[in-house]
Amino acid sequence: MTAILETRGLDKHFGGLHVTNGVDFSVGDGEVHCLIGPNGAGKSTFFRLLIGEYTPEGGQVLYRGEDITALKPFERVRRGLSVKFQVPGIFPGLTVAHNLEIALQHHLEGASLSSEIRRLLDFLNLKEAAGERAGTLSHGQKQWLEIGMAISLKPRLLLLDEPTAGMSPAETFATGEMVQALNRDGVAILAIEHDMAFVRQIAQRVTVLHVGRIFAQGSTDEIVANEAVAAIYLGETEAPRRKQDA
Amino acid sequence: MALLDSAFAFLYQLGDAFAFLVLAACGLAVVFGMMGVINLAHGEFIMCGAYVTVATTRAGLPLPLGILAGSLVAGAIGMVLERLVIRHLYGRPLDTIVATWGVSLAATQGTLILLGSSMPGVGTPLGSFTLGSYSYSTYRVVLMLAALGVLAGLYLAFNATRFGTLARATIQVPHMAEALGVDTRKVYALTFGIGAALAGLTGGLYAPTMTIVPTMGTTFIMEAFVTVVVGGADIFLGTAPAALVLGAVRAVLTSWQGQLFGQIGLLVAVILVIRVLPRGISGLILRERA
Amino acid sequence: MRRLLRRLEGPQTLGRGPAFWAAFAIVLALAIAYPSFADGYTVGNTAYFFCWVFMALGLCLIWGYGGALSFGQTAFFGLSGYAYGVLTLNVGAAYGFTIAAVVLAVALAAGFAALLGYFLFFGRIGGVFLGIITLSVTLALERFMAQTAGPDWRIGAARLNGYNGMSGMPPLTVPWFDGDIVLFPDVALYYGLLGLLVVTYLGLRILVNARFGNVLVAIRENPERAEMLGYDVRRYQLGAFVIGSALAGLSGTLYTAWGQYITPSSMGLTAAALPVIWVAVGGRSDVTATLVGTLAVLGGFQALTIYGSQYALVVMGLLLVVVVLAAPEGLVVALMRGIARLTRKAAAR
Repeated sequence: MTAILETRGLDKHFGGLHVTNGVDFSVGDGEVHCLIGPNGAGKSTFFRLLIGEYTPEGGQVLYRGEDITALKPFERVRRGLSVKFQVPGIFPGLTVAHNLEIALQHHLEGASLSSEIRRLLDFLNLKEAAGERAGTLSHGQKQWLEIGMAISLKPRLLLLDEPTAGMSPAETFATGEMVQALNRDGVAILAIEHDMAFVRQIAQRVTVLHVGRIFAQGSTDEIVANEAVAAIYLGETEAPRRKQDA
Repeated sequence: MALLDSAFAFLYQLGDAFAFLVLAACGLAVVFGMMGVINLAHGEFIMCGAYVTVATTRAGLPLPLGILAGSLVAGAIGMVLERLVIRHLYGRPLDTIVATWGVSLAATQGTLILLGSSMPGVGTPLGSFTLGSYSYSTYRVVLMLAALGVLAGLYLAFNATRFGTLARATIQVPHMAEALGVDTRKVYALTFGIGAALAGLTGGLYAPTMTIVPTMGTTFIMEAFVTVVVGGADIFLGTAPAALVLGAVRAVLTSWQGQLFGQIGLLVAVILVIRVLPRGISGLILRERA
Repeated sequence: MRRLLRRLEGPQTLGRGPAFWAAFAIVLALAIAYPSFADGYTVGNTAYFFCWVFMALGLCLIWGYGGALSFGQTAFFGLSGYAYGVLTLNVGAAYGFTIAAVVLAVALAAGFAALLGYFLFFGRIGGVFLGIITLSVTLALERFMAQTAGPDWRIGAARLNGYNGMSGMPPLTVPWFDGDIVLFPDVALYYGLLGLLVVTYLGLRILVNARFGNVLVAIRENPERAEMLGYDVRRYQLGAFVIGSALAGLSGTLYTAWGQYITPSSMGLTAAALPVIWVAVGGRSDVTATLVGTLAVLGGFQALTIYGSQYALVVMGLLLVVVVLAAPEGLVVALMRGIARLTRKAAAR
C-alpha cells in the first residue's frame, strides 16, 4: 500500500519539552487509520503539525510524496488534505446551507452547487436545519456540519481530531457510518480518537502514540490485546470524553 | 570630554523617551494584560489626571499631593466607568474598544464645554542642571525615576500582595478563580480602576511640562498604543522591554532628525516589528521560556 | 451579466424581493427629484453628506463583513484629499484633469493601504491590535501634516500649510464639447455624487454576495475554519482592506473637491471616530444599514451643531456607547429586521 501521508523524524518541542520526538508515521492511500494514546501523548500537537498550524523543529511531512513541511495550512488543504477540528469549527452566524456553500464554492456553482448542498444535507441528517443559523445546532449536529464542510472539498485524505467528542453513542455510531461511507468512495481517513468503540467500528489500522513517540502499531485486535498498551493507559482513569487533549 | 557629553545627552534622551513610553502605556497595559481590553479613553484619563493636578496645585496644594489627587480622581472615575459600561461588555473586547472610543469623544468635548479650550498650567518645577556643555531639566530626571518607581510598584503589587495573587489567578483561569471564591468582577473593577489611576498619575506627572488642553490625551495615546502592541500582554516582560527598545529608536531618530521623525519612526518600527513578532516581545520571551 | 445581477441580493445583504427593490426605486426617484424642490444650498449640503458615505461603506466592508477593525480609515481619506490638492494645484483643472486627479489620489490611497495591510495581515495582526495600529497611523499622519507650516513644505506649487491645511484647489470639472462643466457644490455635484453612490452601493452588494463576500464573512465568523477550507485568509482580508481604503480615499478627494480645502484634523482622533460611529449606529454588518445610518447620523449631527460642534460630538460619543451596549447590531439593522418580521407575519396571516 502506498502512503498518502507520511512523517519522517518529526520533532516538535516547546522550550525543553519534546512533545513529538522523531515520529515516523504513515497513512496508506485509502485506509482508515486511528491514532490513539493517553492524555499528554502529543496527539493534538502531532495533528497540528500535520495540518500546518505548527512548524516542526525537525523532520518532514510528506503528502503523496511531496514535502509539504513548509506549506501553510490552506496550501495543504488545496492539495487534497481536509480537516475536522476537535471543537466544531463552523461559521456560527451563517445558516447551515450557507456554511456548506462556502466550502463547496471552490469547485461548484449555480444549480450543481444547490443540488450538492441538498445531497450533503441529506447525508449529514441536517435537512430540516438547512435554514437555521449554524450556531444554534446541537453539538453533534455541529460536528456533522463540520464533517460536511471538510468533505465538500473532495479530499483524498480526511483528518479528524476526535470527531465524536461530546456525541451520544447513537450519534457516534452514525458518524462511524459516515466515515465508512466516505472511505468506500476512496477517501483515506486519519482519526485521532479516545472512544475505543468508535475505533473498533472504523479502524483498519491503529497507531498508539505515547510521550511523543510511536509506541505500537497494528490492527485494532492486536492493539487491544497488547498488554504494554494497556499498561500505559493504566494510571489514568477512563478519560472524560470531552476533556481537552493536553 | 565631548564624547562623554554627547553620551550623557543621549542617555538622558533615552531615559526621557523610556519614561514617557512607560508612563504613557502602563495604565493601558495593566488593563490590556489583565482583561484583554483596550481602553481608548486612556488618553482622557491622562487628561483628567492633569486637570485635577493643575487645579489642586493652583489652589495651593503641593505638586506631589496634586499629582496624587489627579491619580485618585482618575482611578475613581475609572471604576465608575467600569461599572457603567465596561462590565457589560466582558467577552466582547472589540465592542469594548468601540464603546470606550465613544467615552473618549464625549469626555474630550465635555471638558471643552465645561472648562474651555485651555487652562493655565503650573510651571515645570526644580529648574535645570548643567553637565558639560548641555543643560538638562531636573524634573525630567524625576519623571525617569517615577517611571522606574511605577514599574517597581506594579511588580510588588502583582507579586507580593493578596490582590496580585488573586488578579493573576483571575487572568490565567477565570472560572477556576471563581470556583475558589474569588469575586472576579471585583478584581476586574479594581484592575480597571488601577489602570485609570496610573493614567491619571501620568497626566499629573506630565502636567507641569505641558499645555493643559482637553485634547492633551492624544499626545500620549499613540505612544501608549505602540508600546502595548510591541510589548504584548505582559507588563513586565512586555511593556518595560518594549519601552526600552522603542525609547532607543525614538531617542536615536529624535537626535538625528528631530521630534517628529522620532514619533513617526516609532510607528514604522512598530509595524516592522509586528510583521516578525505578531505576539509582541512578551510573546517571544514567553515562547522561549515555555 | 445576469449572474452578477443575481448577486444583488443574497445572504449577506438585507432587503430582497420586489418590495425591497420597489422601495429602492422610489427612494432613488425621490433623490433624483430632490433638487427640483430644494434650494441650492440644501442640495449642496446633501452632496456634502454623500461625500462621506463612501468611507462609511468601505469601513462596513472591512469591519462589518471582514471582521477586521480598522480605526484609521481617515488616514486614507486625508492622504487622498491631500493628493488631490497637490495634483490639481500643480496641474490645474483643464482637460478633465480633476477626474484624473481623483483616480490617481484614490490609487495612492489604495497603494498605501496595500503596503500597510501587507504588514498587518501577513503579520497576522488581528483583533484590537489592528484597530490601535491603524488608529496610530492616522494620528501619526495628522501630526506630520500639522507641522508642515512654512514655505519649505511645498510640493511643486502646492503649499501644505501645516495646521491650517491646504486650500484653493479647483472643484471637480468635467470636460464637455462646448466648454467644461464645473461641479460646484450644488445640483451638478449632487447628481454626480448620487450616480457614484448608487454604483458603489450596488457594486458592493454584488461583491459581498459573490464568492469574495462569502469568504469574507466566513473569515469574520471563524478564520481558522476558513483557512482549512483552503482560503488564504490574509489575501481576502487584504483585498477587503484595500477596497475599503480606496473608498475612504474616494471620500477624501470628493470632500476636498467639494469644499476646496483639506486640513490635518481630518485625520485626527475625533475625525477618525466619526466613521466608526456612523457604521456602528447604522449596523456594520449590512451595506444598506450603513448607507441609511450614515446619512441619518450625519443629518442629526449637523442639526446638533447649531448648538455648537462640541455638544454634537458629546452626543455622538454617548450615542456610540449606548448603541454598543443596547443594540450592538446597529439601529438600522434592528429596524430592518423588525420590518421583515412584521411583513412575514402579515403575509402568514
